[in-house]
Amino acid sequence: MKKVFAVTLGVLTAFGGFVDIGDLVANALVGSRFGMSLAWVVVVGVVGICLFAEMSGRIAAVSGRPVFDLVRERLGPRTGLVNLVASFFINVLTLAAEIGGAALALELATGVNYLLWVPGVALVAWLVMWRVKFTTMERVFGLAGLALIVFAVALWQLGPDWAELGRQLTNPPPDEGAPTYWYYAIALLGGAMTPYEVFFFSSGGVEEHWSRRDLAVERANVLVGFPLGGFLSLAIAGCAATVFLPVQAQVDTLSQMLLPAGLGAGQIGLVLVIFGVFAATFGATLETALSSGYTISQYFGWQWGKFVRPRQAARFHAVVLAGVIVATALILTTIDPIKVTEYSLVFSAAALPLTYLPVLMIANDPDYMGQKVNGRFSNALGTVYMVLLVVVAAAAIPLMIATKAGQ
Amino acid sequence: MTAARRLHAELHLLDRQVIHSGDGRLVCKVDDLELATGSDGRPYVTAILAGPLALGPRVGGVLGRLMVAVTEMLRPEEHPGPRRIPMALVSDIGSALVIGGRPLEMALERWARRTVIDPIPGSGHAAPGASAHLPEAAPPGAARLSPLLRLRVTDAEGQEVGQVADVGLRQDGPLLAGVQHALRIDGFIVVPRHTGRLFGYERGPGGYGPGPVRAIVRLLHRGSRFVGWEQVGDLTGDGIRLSVPERDLEPFVFGRAKTGEGRSAPLGSGGGKESGGGKESGGGKESGGGKDS
Repeated sequence: MKKVFAVTLGVLTAFGGFVDIGDLVANALVGSRFGMSLAWVVVVGVVGICLFAEMSGRIAAVSGRPVFDLVRERLGPRTGLVNLVASFFINVLTLAAEIGGAALALELATGVNYLLWVPGVALVAWLVMWRVKFTTMERVFGLAGLALIVFAVALWQLGPDWAELGRQLTNPPPDEGAPTYWYYAIALLGGAMTPYEVFFFSSGGVEEHWSRRDLAVERANVLVGFPLGGFLSLAIAGCAATVFLPVQAQVDTLSQMLLPAGLGAGQIGLVLVIFGVFAATFGATLETALSSGYTISQYFGWQWGKFVRPRQAARFHAVVLAGVIVATALILTTIDPIKVTEYSLVFSAAALPLTYLPVLMIANDPDYMGQKVNGRFSNALGTVYMVLLVVVAAAAIPLMIATKAGQ
Repeated sequence: MTAARRLHAELHLLDRQVIHSGDGRLVCKVDDLELATGSDGRPYVTAILAGPLALGPRVGGVLGRLMVAVTEMLRPEEHPGPRRIPMALVSDIGSALVIGGRPLEMALERWARRTVIDPIPGSGHAAPGASAHLPEAAPPGAARLSPLLRLRVTDAEGQEVGQVADVGLRQDGPLLAGVQHALRIDGFIVVPRHTGRLFGYERGPGGYGPGPVRAIVRLLHRGSRFVGWEQVGDLTGDGIRLSVPERDLEPFVFGRAKTGEGRSAPLGSGGGKESGGGKESGGGKESGGGKDS
C-alpha cells in the first residue's frame, strides 16, 4: 500500500496538467470536432512531459534544487525575470480557471450557481495549503482524481466502432482547416506540457525530501502519473468522438462534456465523474496556487515550502494567499473559466522553452548531478523535444491570431 | 601538490541559492559579489551581496530601478546597502552555497511575517527568532563584480577585442578571517560578439551534452579568448584596456577550462599559466571547497 501512495505526487501533478478544467473541455471539444485525429499529440505530450518531469525530478532529488532555481541560475536575473513574470501570469490565470472549474462541478452536483461556490472553494483550497501536510494533501487529491477513470469505463460501455476510431487516428475531418487543426494541436501539447507541472513536481520532490536513494520513486511517479493522465484525456476525447462527432455537435461546456459518461456508465457513472472533475480541478487549484508561490520564492531565494511552518516561510505563504485572492476576484468578474484556460494553454506553450532549456542543460551538468547526468537516450530525446518546443513556441501566438483562437 | 580551486563567477556563484548550514534554511540568492582590492592591486571577493539593492542594478531597466528605489525609500538609513554575507562564512560551494554563522533574516521576510502571517491563526508559534540586526555597511572602496560582466575589452593598440563573458576566479587570495583564502580574480573570458551567456559549456573535458546545444553555444562564441589578469592594463567602469596587443592573447580553448577542481589549497601553490591543458578531475557536486584549517 505504501508503494501505491508513493506515486500520488506524480498522479496529482499529471491530473493537474492533463485533466484540469481547461483540458477536460479541450479534450472533449477536440474529440467532437476532430475525432481521434489529434490523439498523436497527446502521445507526444505524454512522452515530452515524462522526459521533462523526469529530468527536473532527478535534479531535485540529486541536488535539492527545484526548477525555478535552475531557471534563474542558468538564464541569469533578466531572462529569469521575464520567465518569472510569464509563468506567474499563466499560473494565476490557470488558478482562476481551476477555482471556477471546481465551482462548476459543485454547480452540476447541487444546482446552485457556481459563482456562489467560488469563495468557498477558494477558502477551502487556501486552508488546505495553510494547514494540511504536503503528503496528506497529495494523497487525498491524487487518489480522489482517479474517479475520472470512469471515462474509460464509459467509453467501453458506449461500445464505439473501434475500427472507425482507429481510422480517425490518421484522417482529420476534411471540413476543418489546417491552421485550426494545428492550433488545437498546440493547445493540446501546451495542456500536456505545462510549466506549472514541473514547478510543482520538482518542488514536491523537495517537499518530500527526496534524495539520490529516491530516484526509483521519482521515476515511478513520472511513469505512472503522466501516462495515466494522458490515457484519461484520450478516453475523454474518445467518448466525445463517439457521441458528438457523428451528430456534428460541438462541445463547449462542462455539462456537455460529462454527458457521454452518463450515457455510457449510467447514474453512478455520472456521480463518479462529477466527483472526479471536482477532485481533479481542486487538485489543480492547489497545484497552480502553490506553483505561484514556488516560482517567486525560488527566483528571489526566499524560504519556501510546506515542510517548514508558515511563519518560517512568511513571504511564500503571503504570495500564495495573494495569488488565491487575485484569482478569486478574477473569476468573480464572471469571466468564463473555460475560455481563460484555452488562452493560458497557448501562452504557456509559448513560454515553455525558457523553462525547458535550463533543465536540459543542468541535467547534463556534473557539478549538479555527479554520475546521474542524462544518458544518451535522454539527451537524444531531449534534443528532439528542444527543437519541437522552440518551433511550437514560435508558432503558438501567430496561429492563435490567425485562427481567432480556433474558431 | 594540489592546485588552487578555480571557479567562474557567473557560472558557479552568481544567482545560486544560499543555504544556512545549521538548519538547512534557505537564506537568499547570490545577487552580487563584493570585491576589494588586494595589496598587489588584484581584486578578490569579500562578500556575497543579497537583496533588492544588489539584484536591482543587475536586472536593470525600469523594473530594476524601481526595485532599488522602493527599497531605498523604505529603509531607515541615509545610504542603505544590500545585505552582506562575508565570504569567510561560506563553507561549501556546490549546487548551493552553504554558509555558517548566526542565522540571518531578510527585512521583507520579517515584514511579511509580522503584518500578514502572524495574525492568521495556525501560523506556528515560538520558532527560534533569527537576529534582526541591520545589514552592516560595505567597507570603503568596495566594488561589485557584476559590472565587470559584459564590459568592453580593448587591446593595447585600442583595437576592440570583445566583451567579458565570465570572470575567472582562483582561490589563492588573501586569508579571510584567518580561515580560508579569498577567491581572487584570475582573468576574463572574452567573447568577440554579443552572443550572451556561455551556459557552462566552456568547461571540459569535451564539454557536456546534449551535443547540439553545446555545438551551438560554442559556435556562437567562437574566437573567444582568455585574458589573464597580468595582461590587464587598465580597468575602469567603461571598459578594460589590455597591456598587450590582441595577437598576443591566448585563444580560449573550449572544454579545457579547469574549473571547480581541487579543494582550497594553501597560498602560493600554482601560479602557472591558466591554460594548462590538464585533465579535469571528476568534479561531482561534492567537490565543494571545504574550509581550510
